Amino acid sequence: MRARVRKEKTVEFPDELRYTKEHEWAFDEGKGRVRVGITDYAQDALGDVVYVDLPEIGTPVQADQPFGEVESTKSVSDVFSPLSGTVVERNPLLEEHPELVNEQPYADGWLVIIEPSEPEALKSLLDASTYRAFLDAQA
Amino acid sequence: MDEEELRHSPLEAEHASRGARMGPFAGWLMPIEYAGALKEHEAVRARVGVFDLTHLGKVDVIGPGALGMLQRVVTNDLSKAAEGEALYSLVLNEGGGVIEDLIVYRLEDQRYFVVPNAANSQRVLQILEETPSEERLHLMYHQDWCFLAVQGPQSVRVAAEIFPDAENLAFMRCVETEYHRRPVILTRSGYTGEVGFELFTYQDIAADLWGALLETAAPIGGMACGLAARDVLRLEMGYPLYGQDLFESVTALEAGLSWAVSFDKGDFRGREALLKQKELGLPSRLRGLLMDDRRRIPRAHYPVMRGDGIIGEVTSGTFSPLLQKGIALAYLRPGGVAEIGEKVEVDVRGRRGGATVVRPPFVDRSPR
Repeated sequence: MRARVRKEKTVEFPDELRYTKEHEWAFDEGKGRVRVGITDYAQDALGDVVYVDLPEIGTPVQADQPFGEVESTKSVSDVFSPLSGTVVERNPLLEEHPELVNEQPYADGWLVIIEPSEPEALKSLLDASTYRAFLDAQA
Repeated sequence: MDEEELRHSPLEAEHASRGARMGPFAGWLMPIEYAGALKEHEAVRARVGVFDLTHLGKVDVIGPGALGMLQRVVTNDLSKAAEGEALYSLVLNEGGGVIEDLIVYRLEDQRYFVVPNAANSQRVLQILEETPSEERLHLMYHQDWCFLAVQGPQSVRVAAEIFPDAENLAFMRCVETEYHRRPVILTRSGYTGEVGFELFTYQDIAADLWGALLETAAPIGGMACGLAARDVLRLEMGYPLYGQDLFESVTALEAGLSWAVSFDKGDFRGREALLKQKELGLPSRLRGLLMDDRRRIPRAHYPVMRGDGIIGEVTSGTFSPLLQKGIALAYLRPGGVAEIGEKVEVDVRGRRGGATVVRPPFVDRSPR
């Protein structure tokens, strides 16, 4: 994702989430479930999302490997898995309402829930301030 | 291309104040989107949108030799255009390949206003400079002009508020009018499939005019629109874009633009090659592809398949907000497969998506 964030717009990165350099977020829901989506920066850079392609429930995913695609009016981008594990849920709302990825990237616009094979790996993802610093360095 | 090398619209400050996302397009830094491509698309289809298209070329060809020289350069028959009329036309290379598509407006008896695409305008200007003419003519480049467009079913209301001439201007007609006592060329034309106007004027009043158009459009739900929305709008109509769907390795006939070619008017660049190709048959043909569902969105360069065989290539593709499906323009090889109504598949990054070959427009709209 190469597009730049428009200067006037502020993008948000909640402190309770973990982030990747590929602009995904991960949230530990407990009970071995990690909710995954794309960041506010990513949705802003992509533009209007018109289709989200997600893996079936039960699909194994690998950390740093693509597991799905987000199509916007402009282009298509891979979504990378923050962790290795298995997809145990996919957001059923996105089939009819892909725009939720733009409107609520951290809430109803989530993509999948992963059951990680190594839950400890979550801690090695970026925290919010490190992700913000990473974005600033890119700008 | 480095950002420093890009040309800038004189309206850049206006775009920044409206939160536009700017991006490079054809050598210019232009507004790609403001509120978002889908919202802007909806505004144009349902109400009205205002565009900055200053990146397009603008040149007057003036004098007794203007018509004769232009007739040798472009494919359409400009002698059929009366004063105040416009014609879509192509500029070809000697092989019949498309160098450019453009609109020529006959503003006065011996004055033609030519609007080429930004990416290629230098090439077209060079051809205009080098094509011989028995009679006198001169070229007047309007690099200090801005180009704005007002498009959508409510565009007449918006344009007529500022330019009373707009009320009765017919499709593909143009008129010289004024704004703040500066000349404005007002045309009933566009690239969206909606009723619309295009306006050319000096950059010192362009920001005022841009503001006035948006102020008039806002109460009826109009908004500033960027090039991302424009690309979706033109693709829903199946209008080819130079550099994307039109290029020098395809001819006017392959691109399906023979309606803009007049073989009877006398010699013009590429005429012989087109006549020869007519005899021999076309190696490919630009067609529309309508995807079966929304899951596969075609993009430029994706292969078009029939069974295991590649039968063509997508040149432009997007998601149609009106149809809620993927649409594309693609060059398909003939031999039964490029026919209207045929089922084909598009290879979308390794996964097949079913599609039907159609004749654009994809949507039931008309700019007339």
